[in-house]
Amino acid sequence: MAERRGLEARERRLGFELVVPALGVIVLVALFPLAWTAWESLHLHDLRMPWRGHPFVGLANYAEALGDGRFWAAMGHTAFFTAATVGLELVLGLVLALAMNRAFRGRSLVRAAVLLPWAVPTVVAALLWRFMFGTQGGIANALLSKVGVVDASFVWFIHERAAWVPVILADVWKMTPFVALLLLAGLQNIDASLYEAAKIDGAGAWDRFRYVTLPLLKPAILVTLVFRTLDAFRVFDLVYVLTGGGPGTATEPIALYTFDALLRDLRFGYGSALSMIIFLVTFGLAVLYIRGLGVDLTGEGG
Amino acid sequence: MRRGGRRRSSLPAACSGPGALPPAGGLVAVLLVAVLALAACGGESDQGVVLTFPGSAVGAEARVLRTQLDRFMAAHPGIRVEQRVTPDAADQRHQLYVQWLNARAPEPDILQLDVIWTPEFAAAGWILPLDSLGADAAPFFPNTVRANRWRGHVFALPWFVDMGLLYWRTDLVDGPPATFAQLARVAERAQREDSVRYGFVWQGARYEGLVTVFLEHLGGFGGRIMDDSGHITVDSDAAVRALTYMRDAVWKEGFVPQAALTWQEEQTRFAFQNGEAAFMRNWPYAYPLMEDTAGSSVAGRFAAATMPAGPEGEPTSALGGSQLAINAHTRHPRAALELLRFLTAPRQMIERARVVGEYPTRRALYAGDTLRGLLPIPPARARELIEHAVPRPVTPVYSQLSSLLQIQLHRALTRQADPRQALETAARQMRGLLARVGLMPGGSSGAARGDTADPAEGNRG
Repeated sequence: MAERRGLEARERRLGFELVVPALGVIVLVALFPLAWTAWESLHLHDLRMPWRGHPFVGLANYAEALGDGRFWAAMGHTAFFTAATVGLELVLGLVLALAMNRAFRGRSLVRAAVLLPWAVPTVVAALLWRFMFGTQGGIANALLSKVGVVDASFVWFIHERAAWVPVILADVWKMTPFVALLLLAGLQNIDASLYEAAKIDGAGAWDRFRYVTLPLLKPAILVTLVFRTLDAFRVFDLVYVLTGGGPGTATEPIALYTFDALLRDLRFGYGSALSMIIFLVTFGLAVLYIRGLGVDLTGEGG
Repeated sequence: MRRGGRRRSSLPAACSGPGALPPAGGLVAVLLVAVLALAACGGESDQGVVLTFPGSAVGAEARVLRTQLDRFMAAHPGIRVEQRVTPDAADQRHQLYVQWLNARAPEPDILQLDVIWTPEFAAAGWILPLDSLGADAAPFFPNTVRANRWRGHVFALPWFVDMGLLYWRTDLVDGPPATFAQLARVAERAQREDSVRYGFVWQGARYEGLVTVFLEHLGGFGGRIMDDSGHITVDSDAAVRALTYMRDAVWKEGFVPQAALTWQEEQTRFAFQNGEAAFMRNWPYAYPLMEDTAGSSVAGRFAAATMPAGPEGEPTSALGGSQLAINAHTRHPRAALELLRFLTAPRQMIERARVVGEYPTRRALYAGDTLRGLLPIPPARARELIEHAVPRPVTPVYSQLSSLLQIQLHRALTRQADPRQALETAARQMRGLLARVGLMPGGSSGAARGDTADPAEGNRG
């Protein structure tokens, strides 16, 4: 017994030694920058105003953020963007996944084709959508003015609500394939015999979907939800290129505001505080999903 | 940017980098410092003095600069000047400069500044007071010097000058309008009768250009962004009238297209040179481009004037242009000043005017025949236009003030807020910023560097 315990201890030590390099990398690329940002966020540090020095100011930057209307507006825009895109992507992705899950000729070709938008770099996609919604030869106005939805000279990017349309469409267009792929993987894990059994019990197509597919797909849906929510919450490049956060700051998400504070105004202290807030919110969301909804990110157990 | 590899052979063995690393600035800054250290070390080789000069890498501008730097070196055998390629986009260049200067990098020795950066860099202690070094600012246009003055000292020499112009179509309009009311009337008529798509186009996207357009309307209506004593006055009645005029031009009278609210300089130029607009507000760079029949359908059918005035103001152009300053941490301030003097000397300015169409900042050059035929606008007229140009508020926090203002202007123009409400918000935020950084007039102002304590330099922003 004693010998066995010694062996276990040795094994454990070996195990620990083997993960040390990985832990080291995590500390270096994740924890260290995070700690630095946290430290920085407690200081006044305006690169453009060196005469103000670099004093420790406690939570003053956070207090400023909480009293900053532009910050709250940006948080609101982010929440709206996240809810709208993740919701649409989930529904459309599910439809796509169900379609691709059926056996038909050329299925693998369709699967590859569906992934194309996802493979397009975000900045390129954003430029594409900006052009499509432009007034100079944009296809959106050409089509929509024919059916009388908007005027041919309608300028999408100067209306605080309409400016969201290209932003959300672009994200849905780009990310739905990714969602579909994750859900398709989930669908393929469902045992076909369950559908046969349900059929024998007299379940119709809707019942089979409602009582077999959905419950068994739940883990995949939740994983998708986590990925997409956290991603959408940090949206930056798409909005940066499409609307620049405008008109005014009507479509400015929190990541873009942070970018502005950090790299345009060069307010490192305040910008770091904003970064920490983004981190805390996404971290909180992740914990909420994993603890609250029981999402299993590793795919083990059920 | 240059990697320093080419010069590594001349590195002294015990080369130490600049003593101070940035307090924090991330990996990028650290890497930059490392690269700069490599580059900087090469400077003290047996070659004598090496100056670095940042600038554009492409086109006629880079070529004329190269020629002039070569000429300078030929005249000063002890000094070598190396060009360092920097981004053309102002925002990116600014960001790079700030990282370098925060790291106390001694290079580049010379800095090429946008007109609105000088007070910021001066207050930060990043550039040297040139008058104390012996530079003479007297020959330059007074308004261009005013924009480069901080706390009584001249911190940069104006290299070339830009001013907002009202371009008008000589085949559609009898003459440039003297007042904004007249401009509206003529623009609407041209739109109606001459079937141009747009009456008037300007830069209405949310960026620095919008502030210059607003400044020009504001001046015409008798208002200012900041008064001489440094108080924010952007919520005055005149300002509300100016912004309302701009907004109505888009949404009520419709002689300015809605799309202009997403446009920068180039989009307005395209509209005008395609013959789609009767009037355009733009900088002088557009002139030679629109005279080129290959790309322009209005060649020979347009002219430039000052912006109109309103009932209570004067015609106002925004002052732009490029300035030359010296890095406060340079190892060779004397040589750097020598180079500045050389580049801003009449001969070099005239050459730049001829090759790249940039307007000299020396007043005397406009008097004789020196510039005749070199620039699209005749010298006497150009001088008048330049003298009408008004600097934007001369303050170290101009960029931050401007971005607060840009957002509110754009909100008002896109009808998310009414003009008065938007300007009041902007003014409140701008005053808040000035108070926070200790630049509020009348308040404690021991903040910014400088010996003389006049609270803000005279400016008509």
